[in-house]
Amino acid sequence: MLTSHRGRTGTVLANTAGVVFAVVMAFPVYWVLNTAFKPASEVLSFEPKLWPERPTLDNFASAIKAPYFLVDLRNGLIITAFAVAGALVVGFLAALAIARFRFYGRRALIMVILAVQLVPFLSLLIPLYLMLNRANLTNSLVGVSITYLVLILPYTVWTLRGFIAAIPRELDEAALVDGCNRWQTFYRIILPLTGPGLVATSIYGFIQAWNEFIIINTLNNPEKQNLMAWLLQNQTNRGTAWGPLMAGAIITALPVVVFFLIIQRNIAAGLTAGAVKG
Amino acid sequence: MPAVGSPATVPRQAPPVPSAPPRHRPHRVRRRRDRTPLLLALPALVLLAGLLAYPLGRMVVLSFQDMQLRHLFSGSTPPWAGLDNYTEILTDGEFWAVVRRTAVFTVVSVAVSVVLGLAVALLMLRVSRAVRLAMVISMLFVWAIPQLVSAQIFKWMVDADFGIVNHVIDQIPGVDFANHSWFADPTQGWIVITTLVVWAGVPFLAITLHAGLTQVPRELLEAATVDGASGWQALRSITLPILKPLVVIVTTLSVIWNFGLFTQVWVVRDSKPEQDYQTLATYAFTQAFGRNNYSLGAAISVITVLLMLGVMAFYIRQMFRIGDVD
Repeated sequence: MLTSHRGRTGTVLANTAGVVFAVVMAFPVYWVLNTAFKPASEVLSFEPKLWPERPTLDNFASAIKAPYFLVDLRNGLIITAFAVAGALVVGFLAALAIARFRFYGRRALIMVILAVQLVPFLSLLIPLYLMLNRANLTNSLVGVSITYLVLILPYTVWTLRGFIAAIPRELDEAALVDGCNRWQTFYRIILPLTGPGLVATSIYGFIQAWNEFIIINTLNNPEKQNLMAWLLQNQTNRGTAWGPLMAGAIITALPVVVFFLIIQRNIAAGLTAGAVKG
Repeated sequence: MPAVGSPATVPRQAPPVPSAPPRHRPHRVRRRRDRTPLLLALPALVLLAGLLAYPLGRMVVLSFQDMQLRHLFSGSTPPWAGLDNYTEILTDGEFWAVVRRTAVFTVVSVAVSVVLGLAVALLMLRVSRAVRLAMVISMLFVWAIPQLVSAQIFKWMVDADFGIVNHVIDQIPGVDFANHSWFADPTQGWIVITTLVVWAGVPFLAITLHAGLTQVPRELLEAATVDGASGWQALRSITLPILKPLVVIVTTLSVIWNFGLFTQVWVVRDSKPEQDYQTLATYAFTQAFGRNNYSLGAAISVITVLLMLGVMAFYIRQMFRIGDVD
């Protein structure tokens, strides 16, 4: 910003610092890739090399063939799909109420939605476990799915509210004048215009549900876990099999990383809504 | 709170032309008692009440009971324990050690993360486009990685026998780090955990703060420079005050997140953290599910939430004050 007033050495120094920072930050990411493609002999070596000398896919094969991998992959997909779809439908309706109506208790509802995002969900795990246990919903995909739905619901409502609020009310009014009833306004005007918001929100919901492992690990047995819990289990079971573990970590993290890169802007904006505008 | 309040109640300048349409007319105007919004919010309310509010209440109740494994199997109501759980916890030196450890970790990790994040955000303004792009890409990857996976990566990098960290340090002449265990000494272990948390936390901070920095009006900085302000003075008197609300928000969020530290400890200590590695979150979990002492765990969780309450209230107030929460 003020570069014109600084010397060339300053710029060179800044650029060097920037490059060093980028490399240091990225190194662990590189190291997991490096490890995953190394044969066992190179992984468990006292002279670790910066790149695999004989790159191999053995670690990935070994991770996929490990017990419960495919089952837990399928479980994770089912749970996540259910939680995200449910949160999207329920969340959209609630967001509509907050963004488009003034009603008694609205402010309280906003506060609750902001507050519950801050409560460490983990602290609710004990009563949740007791509740689901009594309802015979432990060791089932249903119990976890509903829990995850509620876990991602507050963020979903909050983000969708922002997207709906950004649609000019004049559009609703024009539609009403042109003879739409209120429900038609919702699904002909607001729903299509919220489209990109729905995509971004559901991706973030996917990430949250996919990354969770403590709740499911506490509630369910190995054949009813998701991939993240499987990964934790694998770490404890396998001791020093770092190659397959890192390969498993890459497979587990890959969908999240890809999705995250797509919607990164929305996440930052959702957490600090409006703070920049002052 | 000027930004909050329904548009209908905020006095606006009267439109000069009487026929000018009122802006943002709420739907409410058409009917006084409109049930639509409540109907829309109902499913969300039911779910939040059933799976958040009820468990929260249940947790408080549980903390005044004495629930053991047999009550879990038989489904019978556990006996009341009064304040016994709280007395037991609050008079336990072990618990206070956990609180202290969690607090120290939070202060150190948040301070380091925010300062580093701010420094990186400022650096991003001064580097060339290509370098900035490299920084952003590298940070986005770090940010995207699930906590559990990043913790496993760090655990592997500091592995005593085959870890790259020991190997690199071992290259320094006169230093023997072969087979060095990073978790035998809790101080060293916590350095690893803090590094991991800071590394994973900086991308959010730096990218958000950089976005905030680009909003600082260029004219203000130019005017300051013309008036003879040094770069440092401009930073302190113009940039940072404008950035302050954003810094406050991201710091508050970092405090809330880091105070609840669980995953990283859980992973690097193989799901059974030793006493020296317990945080409030892992401690409550271990009491409840490791020792089947559900009531004690619940009481610890209640205390944890109470300790956080001030920070949370502050965050929500900030969101109302700054943002377009309305």
